[in-house]
Amino acid sequence: MNFSVITSQFWSLVLQGLALGLIYALVSLGYTMVYGVLRLINFANSEVFMIGTFATLYLEVHVLGYATNSPSLHGAKLVWTLVLVFIGSMIACALLAMLVEIVAYRRLRARGANRLASLISAIGVSIALLEGMRIITISRPMTTPRLLDKWSFGEFHGANFRIDTLMAIVVPIIIFVVLDRFVTKSRLGKSIRAVSMSEENSKLMGININRVITLTFCIGGLTTGAAAFIYTTVYENTVFNVGFNMGIAAFTAAVLGGIGNLRGAFYGGIALGMLEQFASAMLGSQWKAVTVFTVLVVVLLFKPNGLFGEAVQQTRT
Amino acid sequence: MSEKLLELKNVTIKFGGVTALNEVNFHVNRGEICALIGPNGAGKTTVFNVVTGVYPLTSGEITFKGVNLAGLKRHQVTKSGLARTFQNVRLFGDMTALENVITATDVHKKTGLLRALIGTPLNRKEERESKERAHELLALMGIDHRADQLAKNLPYGDQRRLEIARALGTEPELLLLDEPAAGFNPAEKVELANLIKKIRDKGYTVLLIEHDMSLIMGISDRVAVLDFGQKIADDLPTVVQNDPRVIEAYLGVPADAS
Amino acid sequence: MANLTRFNLRDKGAEIWAGWSRPVRTVFVLAFIVLIGLMPFAASWGPTSFLNTPITSFQNVLVYPVGMFIMMALGLNIVVGKSGLLDLGYVAFFAIGAYSQGILSTLYGWNTWEVMPFGIGFAMLAGVILGLPALRLRGDYLAIITLGFGEIVRIVAINLSVTGGPNGIPGIPNPPSVFGLHFDLMHPETFFWLVFAMILLVIWMVRRFTIRRPGRAWEAIRQDEDVAALMGVNTLVYKLWSFVIGAAVGGAAGVLYASKVMVISPDMFKFDVSILILACVVFGGIGNIWGVVLGAGILAYMPERIRFISDARQLVFGLVLIIMMNMRPDGLLPRKKREKITEKGAK
Repeated sequence: MNFSVITSQFWSLVLQGLALGLIYALVSLGYTMVYGVLRLINFANSEVFMIGTFATLYLEVHVLGYATNSPSLHGAKLVWTLVLVFIGSMIACALLAMLVEIVAYRRLRARGANRLASLISAIGVSIALLEGMRIITISRPMTTPRLLDKWSFGEFHGANFRIDTLMAIVVPIIIFVVLDRFVTKSRLGKSIRAVSMSEENSKLMGININRVITLTFCIGGLTTGAAAFIYTTVYENTVFNVGFNMGIAAFTAAVLGGIGNLRGAFYGGIALGMLEQFASAMLGSQWKAVTVFTVLVVVLLFKPNGLFGEAVQQTRT
Repeated sequence: MSEKLLELKNVTIKFGGVTALNEVNFHVNRGEICALIGPNGAGKTTVFNVVTGVYPLTSGEITFKGVNLAGLKRHQVTKSGLARTFQNVRLFGDMTALENVITATDVHKKTGLLRALIGTPLNRKEERESKERAHELLALMGIDHRADQLAKNLPYGDQRRLEIARALGTEPELLLLDEPAAGFNPAEKVELANLIKKIRDKGYTVLLIEHDMSLIMGISDRVAVLDFGQKIADDLPTVVQNDPRVIEAYLGVPADAS
Repeated sequence: MANLTRFNLRDKGAEIWAGWSRPVRTVFVLAFIVLIGLMPFAASWGPTSFLNTPITSFQNVLVYPVGMFIMMALGLNIVVGKSGLLDLGYVAFFAIGAYSQGILSTLYGWNTWEVMPFGIGFAMLAGVILGLPALRLRGDYLAIITLGFGEIVRIVAINLSVTGGPNGIPGIPNPPSVFGLHFDLMHPETFFWLVFAMILLVIWMVRRFTIRRPGRAWEAIRQDEDVAALMGVNTLVYKLWSFVIGAAVGGAAGVLYASKVMVISPDMFKFDVSILILACVVFGGIGNIWGVVLGAGILAYMPERIRFISDARQLVFGLVLIIMMNMRPDGLLPRKKREKITEKGAK
């Protein structure tokens, strides 16, 4: 075990952990929002993320025509290109997420089928997407163009404030603030919370349950798409099975923070990101997953509703 | 008088800021039918939940047969001789009526997994006894002809009767009935009243929550009244019936009083 | 069409079965066992040669994946189907069994029969260690915890030297001969009989449990855990038992698997296997032994049979899952729904 890295790289680890954790947090919204209203694990969300990374790649390379060796962009052109790709990835993922709901969940829900049936059909969707992309890309990892020049604002005690790292921190925070306001203030947002507290009562209050469910999938897709864009911009590559580890991490983050609520996803993501960074630095990256798992079990034993979760069960009996 | 089977001493339950039960003192004597009444939200079902270990106590003490129930798990409470029914029927819907009752009788059986796998003589004997006992209880409740039907397919009244049979399956000394007559017509209520008396005469002690006054007055030996989490009366049915505080709790405070 | 989806083959089968006398049942069961025992020769016999699998020989396919999947699906069904606990990391127990065989046979020279009880024991021990904390938690969390555990067993196998790291363990011996039956590359049919015997053992065990106290306790827990506890079921102990028995079956399958394939490596025990086994259970008919057997048989065999569309077979598999679940959410042969009309009032 290597404790000295904590002191020497502390700020660097915090910064990286924050950037990674906020990407997790965005993806974990795809799990947590859906879980909130359906009480089901949205198993296909990992592949929604994967499609998002490829949507980003596709937009940059095939629609906008940048090659992997294209020079980086600057000024207004850089901004509108990134914004365009960002929005494109979000829309692609939102559409896909809503499609997943229709294909995997809606019919089964209407029939009142058991929870596992929906889980398996979602797994089916997940396998189909994964395998489809594997065949299309012939299992090859793909590099994306470096549109954003990775310049640094400077260093602080070894932490390198690079533009993409900052983007990975600032953009998710903005998304979370907007979303938090939407869910607590807007009519639609309130209907989401109502359904997650009691589907029966919401129905009686005249809330269109199907619309709320579609909306939650849509929001989960949007944030997952945003995460996919950020991930691709930071790491500049993707591969057909990129969703797997991301999915597990994001789901873990959701549970760690307290599944079913927005703030839980936010804090859970950050906690997981930090944990992974520090665990990798101290024990070596191969033991990262083991550490995360152990911490998760211990946390749940002492705080059954997650670190920052309000009790889901108390609101719905 | 007779032995106090169940006793609640200064029991208080708080959920966050809400006090569901406030310093409740209450007991049930062995061999009696005791009724617990009160307006909606008075805390009646909370009493059941705290006695059976569903909710933890905030403060106070509950003893059953003189033994403190604190720290016992739910199945241990049941094993010690307390069984209940539910306000909104909660049967094992995908099991037959018979299986529902057998599941409850298992609580006092000795053979677990290994002996069930090998099929020891003791295990066979216990399985046979359970089945016989379950049929007996179904017959007692008058629904033995439903034994092999799935619980979820039974008519509503029979579901309620099955719940009582299942609770009796655990061989309780104290039977807690949560609104057993809910949704019954007058004829069925009379039948149920007789059934409850019959159960008491077989040696069980009964504590029941009920809204139907005529049912309660007809069968109870004693009536306790809860209002806003506090016990406001506890006496013979005829006395409670005329208690001004009870009438007030049910009808509301008269405008000119206060 | 509506009739077709509502038709319940299991009910019909149970009805016929109930009508038979004991000798008829015995003859039927024996004939059935012999018929299954002859399965390895089906591919070389004219009328059934359509069963042949193009790439791997049919006899090997019958052992792995078909036989192994059926066995594991039956084990997982105890956990998911009987007591309703969602285990997404079942492969962990399979891996523990396989690595027990790999390590104990190559380092200490134990044979498969000697390793078997230890492989099962280690898997059960892992079940207890994982189950004791995990089963106290809310049901939904079990999914993520078991999933994590499945990954961790694999990660540990990659990073330890005793497990051979990422390359795994080569040179695992086949089981020694018993009763003149040889277990080696030339005799896949004997392996099949071995797996078949173990499957029968598991089925016997599950049926025993199901009709007695443990089965009732699991069923009660699955339907309403709170009420089960209030009716005196020690829920934690029974959940733990179902988890541990499921683990034992997975461990046994792992020991057999390692001694069949002779080389094991961590990438054989990925998350996909857990998901596939779970899919077998749900696809076939969760909670119902025959449904699970059928589901596992089909899902294990199908990708091998359609290897001619080689690259797309997993894609097809995914699509089949979606379509099937939408058409028959309770699986091919659903859990019992019938009400016994016979033996009324046994008193």
